Amino acid sequence: SVSRSGAAASSSSSQSGSQNSQTRNAILVSHRQKGNPLLKHIRNVRWTFAEVVGDYLVGQSSCALYLSLRYHLLHPDYLYYRIRELQKNYKLRVVLCHIDVEDVAKPLLEVTKTALLHDCTLLCAWSLEECGRYLETIKMYENKPADLIQGQMDTDYSSRLQHALTSVRHVNKTDVVTLGSTFGSLSSVMDASMEDLARCPGIGERKVKRLYDTFHEPFKRTV
Amino acid sequence: MVRFHEHVITELLDEPSGGLVILSSGLSLSKLISSLLLLHDPSQGSLLILSPSSQSLKSQISHHLQSSDGSHEIAEITAELPAHHRLSLYSSGQTCFITARILIVDLLTNKIPISSLAGLILLNAHSLSETSTEAFIVRIVKSMSRSVYVRAFTDRPHAMVAGFAKTERIMKALYIRKLHLWPRFQVYVSEELERNPPEVVDVRVPMSKYMVGIQKAIVEVMDACLKEMRKTNKVDVEDLTVENGLFKSFDEIVRRQLDPIWHTLGKKTKQLVSDLKTLRKLLDYLVRYDAVSYLKYLDTLRVSESFRSVWIFAESSYKIFDYAKKRVYRLAISNHINLKEQTNTSTAKRRKLRMDGHSKEEVANGTSSLSGGVVLEEVLEEAPKWKVLREILEEIEEGRTKQPLAEDAVESNKLDSGIVLVACKDERSCMQVEDCITNGSLKVLREEWQNYLLSKMDLRGFQTPQKKKPKQKEPRGIGLLDGVVPVKPAQSAESASSINKQEHEALLAAALQIRSKAHITDEIPPQVENDRKRKGKGPKKKAPANGQTSGSKINEPETLIVDKTNSELTGFHQPGKLRGAPMPGALRKHNGDHDDPEGLEGGAKKIPPLYFYALERNEPILDMLKPSVIIVYHPDMTFVREIEVFQAENPSKRVKVYFLFYEASTEVQKFEASIRKENGAFESLIRQKSMMMIPVDQNGSCLGPNSSTELEASSSQNSITRKAGGRKVADKEMQVIVDMREFMSSLPNVLHQKGMRIIPVTLEVGDYILSPQICVERKSISDLFMSFTSGRLYNQVDMMVRYYRIPVLLIEFSQDKSFSFQSVTDIGDDVTPNSVISKLSLLALHFPRLRIIWSRSLHATAEIFATLKANQDEPGLDKAVRVGVPSEEGIVESDVRAENYNTSAVEFLRRLPGVNDSNYRSIMDGCKSLAELALLPAEKLAELMGGQKAARTLRDFLDAKYPTLL
Repeated sequence: SVSRSGAAASSSSSQSGSQNSQTRNAILVSHRQKGNPLLKHIRNVRWTFAEVVGDYLVGQSSCALYLSLRYHLLHPDYLYYRIRELQKNYKLRVVLCHIDVEDVAKPLLEVTKTALLHDCTLLCAWSLEECGRYLETIKMYENKPADLIQGQMDTDYSSRLQHALTSVRHVNKTDVVTLGSTFGSLSSVMDASMEDLARCPGIGERKVKRLYDTFHEPFKRTV
Repeated sequence: MVRFHEHVITELLDEPSGGLVILSSGLSLSKLISSLLLLHDPSQGSLLILSPSSQSLKSQISHHLQSSDGSHEIAEITAELPAHHRLSLYSSGQTCFITARILIVDLLTNKIPISSLAGLILLNAHSLSETSTEAFIVRIVKSMSRSVYVRAFTDRPHAMVAGFAKTERIMKALYIRKLHLWPRFQVYVSEELERNPPEVVDVRVPMSKYMVGIQKAIVEVMDACLKEMRKTNKVDVEDLTVENGLFKSFDEIVRRQLDPIWHTLGKKTKQLVSDLKTLRKLLDYLVRYDAVSYLKYLDTLRVSESFRSVWIFAESSYKIFDYAKKRVYRLAISNHINLKEQTNTSTAKRRKLRMDGHSKEEVANGTSSLSGGVVLEEVLEEAPKWKVLREILEEIEEGRTKQPLAEDAVESNKLDSGIVLVACKDERSCMQVEDCITNGSLKVLREEWQNYLLSKMDLRGFQTPQKKKPKQKEPRGIGLLDGVVPVKPAQSAESASSINKQEHEALLAAALQIRSKAHITDEIPPQVENDRKRKGKGPKKKAPANGQTSGSKINEPETLIVDKTNSELTGFHQPGKLRGAPMPGALRKHNGDHDDPEGLEGGAKKIPPLYFYALERNEPILDMLKPSVIIVYHPDMTFVREIEVFQAENPSKRVKVYFLFYEASTEVQKFEASIRKENGAFESLIRQKSMMMIPVDQNGSCLGPNSSTELEASSSQNSITRKAGGRKVADKEMQVIVDMREFMSSLPNVLHQKGMRIIPVTLEVGDYILSPQICVERKSISDLFMSFTSGRLYNQVDMMVRYYRIPVLLIEFSQDKSFSFQSVTDIGDDVTPNSVISKLSLLALHFPRLRIIWSRSLHATAEIFATLKANQDEPGLDKAVRVGVPSEEGIVESDVRAENYNTSAVEFLRRLPGVNDSNYRSIMDGCKSLAELALLPAEKLAELMGGQKAARTLRDFLDAKYPTLL
């Protein structure tokens, strides 16, 4: 028995040695979740049990609480107490709600209200697979830029130019063509004087001012 | 005006508070409405007609009004009309078309002087429900003035019996107490229409052998699919009959039953649902499309569906494909001597192709591949109805010329030019049938056939000469020919595929021949073009332009065909021995077969002037044309009734109607079933009417805030809705600011039912403002998927996050659809970027402050809104409207960052290539403005952006030369 516990100790110490690299890429699962069949469905990301406040620590500053709607019906206060435990330690606080009852309206209303009023993002899933997938995805996408949901922008030059210039209010596609062909390049457009801008057909006084201010007003205003 | 319309109107006017009229389809709802409108007097107040979604109904009403009384005009209230202009129309006493969205917004903002309103007319009773905007309008109008009448109409009785007590619920929602049913079998209606019925000639056209075969096969497959469907135990078996399967509404029946559990269904069940739809279409097209187009459609089906669908693998499906092919061409294996010859000629032919394709080295190959000696013979079966139609037309003309001249003159003076109206279901058939009559059916079919072959060739990449051996690259399963074999049991795969290959080659050879021919004719200026009304499909064969009279036009087809045959036989530029390819041979034979009809068509028989009308056009064609002979090419219940009404209105006229049915076809079945179905709907409505529980004084009992509870009680909602609704209302009046654009949806109506005050405005940010802190963007499921793809949602959330402390995304599921994104089987094994889970996760990661509401239904949403608002202040209108709208100085108001940042510049910066979430702040720290940024050298940029690559990308983009417009 001694040797066995020793082996356990050594393995745990070696684990703690490489803990940083280990845990950074893994979902840390609270011991409370032991026996949750959901764990079977976390396959694309490594996970390990650890001392964490929420149920799942999915990233540097994101955590998730798992809630079965059936459980909620039996213990309506559970969610609130769990959220309160989290305090203000995480940027993203997910309530992962497993919809496992037929009549959802009432319990879901309560969960929605609790999550919303206590700064949690509610994600609903209809199966344990789906729950697992949410956890995996949040972990894997931790540092992913938002391009995926920012629209499939064409990457050719004119579309990108149009995308940038039309961010200025009231500037339309035609104006982009006018500006481009008048000044030859974007840097010249950005450096253009008010008079030069005003000389462009179709670009009225207000657009000139907007464009000019966009380019020349400092990013940060000194108050 | 027909007498029974008078009855309808008298009955309707009897009840001053309004009524619901359900009319048999085809009994001219538009005329009924316009007669009713003529009775309107401006002194009563304004009459608003909620614009029907179908433009044709609207234009028919206007047409009838104009033709009966030019002075009565209907104004149209649109969003473009300035507010004061709208106001003056509201109080003018006129009749106006208006959309529900404009009306509800104007009502909620008190822009309508209710006292000057006489009534509302709704033309789409069948598409209403308790939550529709129309119901919302009626509720508000009735709460302000009880004297405004509401009259609702529909001529789709079958749609009024879909769903539980639908009619009763609609009546309650509209505060209507009287239901008026006017079926075709109603005594006034039938008496009037049958007193002097049009003369009807039923022409039963036998289908061709193959058509019968195909129809039988489809019905068999359909039956098999239905049996499978019953096995799933998910659907009510009663409705699952082949007869029902013929109707479009069948899909709706099935979907209505399956939608709530859609996410639990396996792939197979879902596939069955879509297969049944495909099969229904196949049956329909069988009697509507010509043989070649039908084959083409089947080909595309095979390409697009082969892997997923179940039905294609059913045993009888093989017959569908096989027969369809046999209607167009057949492969003959010629006898020995012939075989040799054919082989030779085909090889020679092939050689020519190769030369066209710049690859001479394959000549030897060509010979060997064709050793089987398969010859393609055109069959080109014409649609049986075509010939019959022509015969009928000739008969009509004959009958006319035989008539004594005097009578003829009288008749034509009294009536019209004697135009024969031919009514087809769709434009496509119209054009084709017309083409057949003017140009001969063979020519039409041949054109289709040539297009078919050419498209086949394009599909195989023969278009591009660079591809040397395209046939080796062909994936199996494209097109009809590859696919047939695997289903065929007997033959060994090898021999089958070689036959297949030969079939292939024969088709391609034929195609290439046509192409080369087309090439030649290209050089000849297409003179014929002017002569033809139809859109030509590519350059036509040259034909002597024979002048414009109709007589010579009928002669034209013959000359055309003769001319073409000649050119095929002799017109090639190639030396004579290259010419004897399969096609001309088959062609000659074919011509021999069809010599007789061609002769007839080309001969002296004359046909009367024709007008082709597509039923889908929905024009008051009978009134416009006043035909005395009508040929109903595709039977349609509504049109038949229209003819009856037309005859009743013009008793002096003798209308003769020819019905063209395919004998023992689903066409007949469908026609008869549609009548049965409508009668059934009316019988059910009559029963429902006798048991209806309409409050005696609907006006008094359910108005004001109480209406919410009353309505919900009737609308089978869950119990909490009622409880909470009643309780909240008593406390205080909640208000919600709603974006104008949201009035397309039903949520504002349901919120109002809940007792909330709705304030419509134009919002820059968000859809619903619940409190100074809570802003909601509503997304239905389909919206959600779409706006993720377009990036719109990201921007909308970005804006909400800037301006509101609690930005909310509301994901709204539909009550009668499943409450789930996807079924378990659809989730897959990996994290994929296209999954909605991935997108939602990413959204949550980028906007940790965003709150998400998952709502089961409209009513659940209303409930959630009420709960969330409970402890919050009411939203401020002025502030909500100003949010996100830049003031004149360009500073966006109430942006938390606006005081400190040049938001427009930040947004611009973030859209530049190379700039991303992690480096834009350091760029702003390191340089003052965009103008300064534009001048920074790459090294400096690399420093700020933390990388050479990003800096290079940005610098290159800034300096890139704008492409010149030339």
